[in-house]
Amino acid sequence: MKDVIVQGLSQAYENLVRMLAEFLPRLVVMLVIILIGLLVAWLLKIIVRGILRLTKLDRLSEEAGASRMLRLAALPKMSELLSRSIFWITWFGFILIGVGVLEVAGLQEQISRLLQLLPEVFVAIVILFLGLIAANFLSRAALLASVNAGHPSPKLLSWLIRFVIWIMAISMALEELGVGRQTVIAAFSIMFGALMLGLAIAFGLGGQDLARRFLERRAGDEEKEKHEEPSPL
Amino acid sequence: MAEDTFLGDDFLRQLMNVGEVDLLVGIPSYNNAETIGATVQAIEDSLRQAFIRDRVVILNVDGGSTDNTCEALLGMNGKRGTGARGLTSLRTVHRVSSQYANAPSQGSALHSVLAAADLLRARYCAIVSPAMANPSAEWMANLLRPVHQEKCDFVAPLYRRSKYQGLLARNLLYPMSRAVFGKKIRELYADEWAFSGALAAQCLGRNVWQEEAVRARPEAWMGVTAICGDFKCGQSFLGPKAPIAAGAGPDIVEAIRQTVGGLFWCLEEQQDYWMGKTGSESVATFGPEHELTADEGQSLNADKILEMFQRGVNELEPILSPILTAETHAEIKALAQQQEGFRFGVELWVKTLYEFAASYHHSVINRDHLVQALVPIYRGRLYSFLLEHADSSPEEMEADTEALCGEFERQKPYLVERWKAKAEVKT
Repeated sequence: MKDVIVQGLSQAYENLVRMLAEFLPRLVVMLVIILIGLLVAWLLKIIVRGILRLTKLDRLSEEAGASRMLRLAALPKMSELLSRSIFWITWFGFILIGVGVLEVAGLQEQISRLLQLLPEVFVAIVILFLGLIAANFLSRAALLASVNAGHPSPKLLSWLIRFVIWIMAISMALEELGVGRQTVIAAFSIMFGALMLGLAIAFGLGGQDLARRFLERRAGDEEKEKHEEPSPL
Repeated sequence: MAEDTFLGDDFLRQLMNVGEVDLLVGIPSYNNAETIGATVQAIEDSLRQAFIRDRVVILNVDGGSTDNTCEALLGMNGKRGTGARGLTSLRTVHRVSSQYANAPSQGSALHSVLAAADLLRARYCAIVSPAMANPSAEWMANLLRPVHQEKCDFVAPLYRRSKYQGLLARNLLYPMSRAVFGKKIRELYADEWAFSGALAAQCLGRNVWQEEAVRARPEAWMGVTAICGDFKCGQSFLGPKAPIAAGAGPDIVEAIRQTVGGLFWCLEEQQDYWMGKTGSESVATFGPEHELTADEGQSLNADKILEMFQRGVNELEPILSPILTAETHAEIKALAQQQEGFRFGVELWVKTLYEFAASYHHSVINRDHLVQALVPIYRGRLYSFLLEHADSSPEEMEADTEALCGEFERQKPYLVERWKAKAEVKT
């Protein structure tokens, strides 16, 4: 009985030592990979930040109104945000590779999937930012044009444009990630269709007079209004 | 020289047939078949009477007219009338016509004229609009004489305008450009002006022809280039300015985008010149005795303008916020809250414009959007101006313009301060 217990303990100890002997080098390799990843990610961040500053992305983002949105969300400048994203995505990739070295059963496949997803995550982030810039720029252009032309409800028009572009950007980003592909397409189609149908009904039924006045003014009165103001030059 | 030019082969061939000239008159056209004949006739009469010894070419540069404008010009029968002293030109007056593009652009038209002037070694040049209401030989001579006889390098026109004509120029363009660049040139934004071959050569060599400000209003850029290049500048009285035909001129938004956007761009381009300048000096003025403001002018309904000012300031609040200081923005919003009869004071108006110019420099938002955001505020100033001057005499209006210019000059250090300050980050 005693021998069996000693033998069992001895066997367990040997297993533990063997496991540690196998695991510790992998752990060291993982730590080395993570440290190298940290260095590579940091270098990439510096390089990307330098390139983005050279291309004056921050000025473009400021002009398009995206920087203001970032400030409102307490986020850093566009170039800083993108370079930090690069840093975290790269380092996260190295961390996953490092964890993979541990050869933990069942984890390999998940890590492999996550690694494959990383470039798509980055592309999705870029799509979202471009969408943010385009939405701000175009909605502001629409607001200015409709206010200066004296059109009714300029804010509604501006908001609609912003909303549609946001929806498009979000659905494109989700499409890139492959998240609920069919659902996203269906949701976007339904929302966009509902919006258009709503507008059609509003103009066609609810606002016949408004639509008529609007079209009349577009056709003729606009020219008259233009000349109600004194000659600027 | 011809090998380096961007001008087309046919255009070059026509120019080479002309040879060297002393005087070149450029006419940028676009669907002006109805009026170009009278304009060219007035130019030729003027040239035959007042510049009889000069070798002359009339150069039509067309922006893709579909009404046979070029054919109307080339098909005219030249008549050799005599002047008041019985003199007539000793030389042939050449006519050349060419299409520079399929769509009109004042900048591209001027670029072609300058290239042609350089090729023909023209010593004096003028640009004349083919859409003049009452062109006359005397009028043309008045424009060209200061360049031809007084050795001016840049001559802007002076017009007599009705009370409510050219209000953007009166309230913004003239006083601001005078205060910033330091020269009292009244009409930097005009359809007619004259310049020397030396100034033409300098402008031709600049790499700015793709810039929107130069493409839209090249005359103002040329004037600013002359001022900042220490060229001799002058202005010449041409008579009454005919009102722009309905639908022919730009609307207020387009006019502000072209002119104010161009002025802000020139500020940026020439900041080394104007930063240290104070005050303003007169330039030589030619032509008969004149008054600049005529008493006539139909009264205008200001209610619509007031409504658009109020709505614009309210709706554009998030856009105006990063452009203006909090204090200025609050004052403008307070004005927009008032029902009617308010006064948009000159101090606030000048401060607002200088803040817009500085924000343009710092690119706080897209520059074209920034200039468009000025439109409702200009409408507020316009409303106030129309109320103030409903019964003013021409003398009172001129005095008011002079006071506004003085305010622009007084506040110029504020522009310099805002210009040099780093862009504020607002949330």
